[in-house]
Amino acid sequence: MQVDSYSQDIPGFAFKQVLSILPVNLGDIIKRLPEKYISNLEEIRLRQGRPLLLGFNNGDKYLTANGELVSEPNISYIITVEDIQRVTRLVSKSSLYALEEELKNGYITLPGGCRVGLTGKVVMDGEKVKTIKYISGLNIRISREVKGIAEKLLPYLLDKNKNVRHTLLLSPPRCGKTTLLRDLVRLLSTGMPAIKYSGTTVGLVDERSEIAGCYCGVPQKDVGTRTDVLDGCPKAQGMMMLLRAMGPNVLAADEIGKQEDVKVIEEVINAGVSLLFTVHGSTLEEITQRPALEYLFNLKVIERFVILGRSRGVGTIEDIKCGSTGKTLGGRICSS
Amino acid sequence: MFKLIGALMIVSCTGIMGMIKAREYAMRPRELRSMQSALQMLETEIIYGATPLPEALEYVAERCEKNISRLFRQVEQELIVSHGCTVKEAWDRALYLYAPPFFQKGDTSILSQLGNCLGMSDREDQSKHLHLAMEQLKLETTSAKEKAKSQVKLWNYMGFLAGLMIVTILY
Repeated sequence: MQVDSYSQDIPGFAFKQVLSILPVNLGDIIKRLPEKYISNLEEIRLRQGRPLLLGFNNGDKYLTANGELVSEPNISYIITVEDIQRVTRLVSKSSLYALEEELKNGYITLPGGCRVGLTGKVVMDGEKVKTIKYISGLNIRISREVKGIAEKLLPYLLDKNKNVRHTLLLSPPRCGKTTLLRDLVRLLSTGMPAIKYSGTTVGLVDERSEIAGCYCGVPQKDVGTRTDVLDGCPKAQGMMMLLRAMGPNVLAADEIGKQEDVKVIEEVINAGVSLLFTVHGSTLEEITQRPALEYLFNLKVIERFVILGRSRGVGTIEDIKCGSTGKTLGGRICSS
Repeated sequence: MFKLIGALMIVSCTGIMGMIKAREYAMRPRELRSMQSALQMLETEIIYGATPLPEALEYVAERCEKNISRLFRQVEQELIVSHGCTVKEAWDRALYLYAPPFFQKGDTSILSQLGNCLGMSDREDQSKHLHLAMEQLKLETTSAKEKAKSQVKLWNYMGFLAGLMIVTILY
């Protein structure tokens, strides 16, 4: 029943934000969907000359011009050049020049924290991507904020003195890793009265603007009262900046994997700051094979491994392992 | 007596007509110049501020001359109100409604041309298009100034003189 637990937060605000960037004709089609579909909507995919596709948490469906969900592409609504151009204009407020940085990264964050991924013809400048022209594909991702999913997990990550242990969240893609990290950050920084945890200063390096969903530098998601966010900053540099400038007790970052990240992590741990970060992967053995992470594991500093999966729906915590003994501390905690 | 009043009325009427015509010539270079500086401001907003177009237009509208600010504000409104319309559409509609009053057809078409490319490319490209428009406006300004030099005096006198001529013929 995790599926339903997700739907509580999404529809209202985030969905309205999405409608505001859709041209009237597309907006009308999508608005006709029954409420239960709208609340489970994860993605809207627009590809020029191809069918309109909606992604739900249990698979994707084509949409017809009458707002019916179908499985056959040939009767669905076909996205026109005009549609793509209109969405591009609405997303960019008719000012592509203002989005140069965003185009280089391939996505735009909207107020409200939703993200729009872009594809098209890439223009290079030497070795770097300069911009994308002839935008032909858009993926509107409705981001979700599920408050409270980390409540059961938090006690496992605190030691006797309520200090945060160095923690690694391990998860395959689309298993709710970012959502869980966001809620953990929120709980760590605001505190959790139920377990008499009063909260601490958290520094968050949000390289891909996914965790806090910043718009113009302001977090659009609730990341807690004591959280400082560096938006769009490379993790290694960002962690050092926060460490020096903002005096955090916990540093959080998404998707660690590069050699330089690991070097900084070593430094952060030596500075006495707790770490909270995620890694892409499905098992501990698998990620140990990556050179950078292998080095990190050999330092034996990480105290808790949290492994996510979808065995009981998105966001299932499959296992929590103790870093020093390798013992399982508790598993199969559902997200709800 | 009546004759005298009539004659005075004729002279003043033609005189005012001449002055209006002269003003047209005098005002055009001025308006062209303020349009140039408005575009300059817009360029600064776009290139250095990377401000989204509606906000940039609003900013410029607040700072430039009334006649031109009306145009910019209208474009901004069109962009905000109509969901997903092109800058070109918004720009042309605003030009139709609020083209600066002393602009001639050629001047307006320079602006309309600019509307084609505004917003839809990177900053470098935007700067080029804006510079082109400013350059064209500058050329128009110089020729308008030259015209004004000769025409303003001419029309100012011509109005009165034509009036006097009519009066002498009729008297």
